Amino acid sequence: MKTTWTSRLTSFLFILPYLAAFCMFLLFPIIYGVVISLQDFELLSTDHPFVGIHNYVTIFTPGTYENSVFFGGLWTTIQFVIFSVPLLIFVGLAMAMLVNALPGRVRNWFRTFYFLPYALSASVMAVIWLMMFDTNAGFLNSLLAKLGISSIPWLTATPWVWIALVMTTLWWTIGFNMIIFVNALNEVPEDYYEAASIDGANVWSKFVSITLPSIRPVMLFVMITSTIASFNIYAQPFLLTRGGPGSTTRVLLMNVLDQAFVRKDMGSASAMAILMALFIMIISVVQFRLTNRKEKV
Amino acid sequence: MVKTKKVGLLLLAVLIALIILLPLVWMISTAFKNDFEALSGRMNFLPKKPTVDNFVQGLSGELMNTPVLRWIVNSLVVGTVGTGIVLFIDSMAAFALARLPDLPLRRTLFSMFIASLMIPSVLTFLPMYMEFNTLGLINTYQALILPATAGAFGVFLLYQFFISFPKEIEEAARIDGVDKWNLYARILMPSAVSIMATLGIFTFMGIYNDFVWPLYATTSPEMRTITAGIAMMATGSYTQSYGKLMAMTTIATLPVVIIFILGQKSFVKAITSAGVK
Repeated sequence: MKTTWTSRLTSFLFILPYLAAFCMFLLFPIIYGVVISLQDFELLSTDHPFVGIHNYVTIFTPGTYENSVFFGGLWTTIQFVIFSVPLLIFVGLAMAMLVNALPGRVRNWFRTFYFLPYALSASVMAVIWLMMFDTNAGFLNSLLAKLGISSIPWLTATPWVWIALVMTTLWWTIGFNMIIFVNALNEVPEDYYEAASIDGANVWSKFVSITLPSIRPVMLFVMITSTIASFNIYAQPFLLTRGGPGSTTRVLLMNVLDQAFVRKDMGSASAMAILMALFIMIISVVQFRLTNRKEKV
Repeated sequence: MVKTKKVGLLLLAVLIALIILLPLVWMISTAFKNDFEALSGRMNFLPKKPTVDNFVQGLSGELMNTPVLRWIVNSLVVGTVGTGIVLFIDSMAAFALARLPDLPLRRTLFSMFIASLMIPSVLTFLPMYMEFNTLGLINTYQALILPATAGAFGVFLLYQFFISFPKEIEEAARIDGVDKWNLYARILMPSAVSIMATLGIFTFMGIYNDFVWPLYATTSPEMRTITAGIAMMATGSYTQSYGKLMAMTTIATLPVVIIFILGQKSFVKAITSAGVK
């Protein structure tokens, strides 16, 4: 092929539109975000004096407002991750195994049913559950009343808020993990199971010694994506609990956005956003390293 | 023995399906109830006095500050235009990366795009808001459409497709004097119809369902997307009007569920290829 400069230019023109979008709406914002985080950036003011790492120092200084919202929100988010991620992995896997055990004709039907809530937007999902969880008129409490159980304050008391948030999250996103597991299970070679059957292995030992090791890379993928998604939780507490009761469910992203748009302190909010992003990226790398090491041993 | 086990599994599957679909059925049922019945706490799936008032009021914009029809149109416009742009620029970029070895900085660009897949969106959210604010584009269609065009997922997906395209066809075309543009438009694109549909469905649903960005990037009621609009309704004065809220969520859900069911196979394919790296 010709490698004249005109040819190289033509090739470059093909990538230029995407490259422009990439630079303007991804690369530039990342750099600009760092710049904002180094400024005393009042949202409505036009003067943004440079303050160095002052915003970061404030976040790490015990006793400041920024310190309490950042680490308070982080801790709330970590609790949500700890409650939801194991369920997102194991319920997803269990549903995938169930779907795969069904006869071929109905398999696709059930896969679609289980996957359907994933197509809903966050706000539709949250509004539906707002109605389901309503203390007085909600479906769940009406159901409990029929069973003679007194109503549960789903969205206004612990531990119920946590159960409610995890339930909605499972309902909304489990289909994604299920699909990934269905595909992974289909790729486990059938003759492994046949060989194990000849050796007299039971269902459980087949699961532990064949299925789990074979789908390990996919487990890792599901774990990392579920953890990242759970760290970014926002819609469920924003629309269902408003962070309540008290500030029990005030997650980190909620606090970052409030710092920016309610308190109008963009500089500090940007510093928080950068720390949050770094935290998420470090967690994924650590998860990746740990699970990869296990495989080598 | 085997048969009863199969029946047991099937029953379990049906039970789980009922639990999962129940909130959706309840949503549709409530949409046809008047406010009194919706708040009565009765568990009737069939409304006693079915009414379409909730839909009529919602769509005609009779509810204060809730031009729902406009929101739907906004979402459809933003989703369609955004998807069109993504398909066009991503396919050209993927074509250049996969099939044009004389592309300057090819490896650097490719690694840069791949690396960007790992960047959490919280990192770009606030500076992007300030960027659009400075450009005076908050509360415009540009603000709702453009951020979605920077994602590298489509480039990555189409790159994988283009890289496996047979070299012989390309060489034959080159000998016939086909230039790069025609190689892209006439030879590679027609073979990419199914993968483009997959990316299209994925992108459309992503833009249509996006919630946090449109909530902050729009300030006037007329510019909201349906997803952001419903969030505003739920946090505003309609919190307790479940009949109306459910009529709105039902309408909001229709376009995307239709696309989802029609394109379910390719949706599954896209998720799988995202998972198997």
